[in-house]
Amino acid sequence: MSAGELEGAAASLLAGGGRFADLFGTTDGDELTLRLVFALDGEGRYVVVEAPVRGTEYADLSKAVPAAFLEQCELFERHGVRPPGTPLNRVLMPPHAKPGAGWSEAAVAADGRTREPHHVRGEAFEFPFGPVRVAGWETLYMGLVTTGEEVLDLYLFYWHKHRGVERRLIGLEPERALFFVERLEGLSAVANGLAFCRAVETAAGIPVNEEAACSRAVAIELERIYNHAAAIAALCQTTGLSVGQAQAEIALERLLRLNLAAFGHRYLFGSLALGGVCRAPDDEAIRRELPAACDELRRVVAALLATNSHVDRLEACGIVDGETARRLSLVGPVARASGCDIDTRRDHPFPPYDNVVPVVPVRATGDAYARMQVFVGEIDESQRIVEELLGHCGEGRCVTEAGPSAALGWAESPRGETLAWVELDESGLIREARLRPAAVRNWRAFDDAARARNVFTDIPIIEASFWQTVAGFAR
Amino acid sequence: MLWFARGLLRRVVTTRYPRRTDAWAAALPSPPAFDSARLTPELAARLVARCPNGSLAIDGGALVLDLGGCTGCGRCVAEGDGAVRPSGVFELASSERIGLVKRIPIKGARK
Repeated sequence: MSAGELEGAAASLLAGGGRFADLFGTTDGDELTLRLVFALDGEGRYVVVEAPVRGTEYADLSKAVPAAFLEQCELFERHGVRPPGTPLNRVLMPPHAKPGAGWSEAAVAADGRTREPHHVRGEAFEFPFGPVRVAGWETLYMGLVTTGEEVLDLYLFYWHKHRGVERRLIGLEPERALFFVERLEGLSAVANGLAFCRAVETAAGIPVNEEAACSRAVAIELERIYNHAAAIAALCQTTGLSVGQAQAEIALERLLRLNLAAFGHRYLFGSLALGGVCRAPDDEAIRRELPAACDELRRVVAALLATNSHVDRLEACGIVDGETARRLSLVGPVARASGCDIDTRRDHPFPPYDNVVPVVPVRATGDAYARMQVFVGEIDESQRIVEELLGHCGEGRCVTEAGPSAALGWAESPRGETLAWVELDESGLIREARLRPAAVRNWRAFDDAARARNVFTDIPIIEASFWQTVAGFAR
Repeated sequence: MLWFARGLLRRVVTTRYPRRTDAWAAALPSPPAFDSARLTPELAARLVARCPNGSLAIDGGALVLDLGGCTGCGRCVAEGDGAVRPSGVFELASSERIGLVKRIPIKGARK
C-alpha cells in the first residue's frame, strides 16, 4: 500500500484487536520502505504492512497508535522521513553524530530543533541524574523534574549506549551475525538470538528438529529464571534490604553456575546455532541444581513478602494502569502486571511451546508489587517447563544455501516479546536487519510510571521492578 | 583522594587474592590454546575467518592471538579439528598491552 494509507491501516488493525509491535524502515538503493508490524494475538499471527515512502514525509501514525511515536523519532534519525508538523524527540542519535554513519543528514542538520522544548516553571526544578548512577547498572541519563520530593516529570536519554549493532550486521553471514545479536543485550542473549535465528530460518527455509527446539526452550527458560532472580535481588537493594539482596544473589549465583554447567556459559552466550543449538543441555546438572536454586529463591521471596517494610515500598509504587499499558503496547511482565494477558509463547507458539503451553500469570494493579508477583509466578512456570522438557533435548544445526528473502522472527524474552526482521541478499548475506527487544516497548512507560504519585526515592524501585535494559533500547 | 593515598600508605588488605580457583570455574569459557604442530596455513586462515572479534590474524609465519579482544566464544575451538582447545587460563592480566598478544608459529609457513 502507499504511505498515505498506513494511518488508516494502523487504525483498522488496532480497532480489530491488533497490538502495535514495531515500525521501521528498510532501504533498497534510494527507495525507503516503511514496515508496520502488528501482532494479532487472538489469531496467533503477525501482520507486516509494507509501504514505500516517496519524498520525506508520511502520515503521523502516532495519532492512531501513540506507541508508534518513538519509532517515528527513530525513522527520522535513521532515514530523514517524518510526519509533517509533528514535534519529535531525540531517541538514539548522539550529539556528536555525523551524516553517513547511520544517521540521516536531515536529522543531523535539525539537531537541537527536533526535541520538544522542556519547560520547567514555578517551584519545580530539573535534577540531572546520570548517565552514571549509583543505583542502576547501565548508562542512562534521567532528567527528573521535581519540587524536591514529588516527581513531576521525567525524561530519559538513551543514546550514550547506542552501538549501531543493526548496522554492524549488514553484509555478514547470518551465523557470524548471531554472535553480535547475542551481545546486543547480554541479559536476553538467548531470546534475541532465538528471534534472530527464527527470522533467518524462516527466510532461508532452514528446518529445526524437535530435540534442538526443546534445547532452545530450556535455554530461554533458564534465562528467564535468572533474570527474574536478578530483578528480585535488585528490588531488595532498592528497598534497603541488604540481607534479602544477598540471599537473592546467592540463588542468582547458583542459577548462573547452572547456566554454565548446562550450556557452557553463565549468560548462555553461544547456546544457539542456525537450525538448532551448539550443544544439548546437561540434563543431569539441571535436574540436580535447578530445584535447589529455585527453592532457595522461593524461601527468599516468602521472607520478603512477609516483610512489611519491603511490601509497603512496592505497593502502589510506579503504577502503570491497563489502559496505558495497552495504549503504549507494552509487553512482558510489565504488561502482565497491568492486566494485559499476552505472552508470545502461548499466543504465537512455535515448537515446543505448541505442546508445552505456559500458564501466564497476570495481575491487575500495575504497581511494583504486581510486577514482583509476576516475576515469582513466571519462575515457577519456567521451572515446570524446563523439567517437562528434560529428556527430550538434543543437538542439531543446519545451514542451507539461501537466496534473497526476508522474514520476521519472535521470542518471549524475560522482558517480553522480542522481534527480529531479517532480509537476506542473493548470497545469503544480511542485507537489512531490524532488532526490536522488549526494552524498546517498555521504557516508553517508565516516565508514566515514575510520575504516578511517586517520590524521588521510588525511582530506583520502579526501575528494578521494570527490569529493562538500556542496551536493548539503544542497540 | 586523601583516603585513597591513606589506604595505599597503610596497605590495608580488604580481600585476599583467592588461593585456588573454584572448582566450578573449570567449565568457564576461556581463550584458545593452539597445538602449533597441527596448525597448518590453511587451518590458520580458516580460524582467522571464523573469529567474530578480529582477535586472530596472520602475521608472517605466525598466527597472532590478541587476548585483549578474545571473548572465549569457542568458534575457533569448533573449527580447529583438535588443534585448538580451551586453555582454561583466566589469569591474563599484563602490565603492558603487548603482553596480551600471543604469536603461535604456523607449521610450514614462510616467515
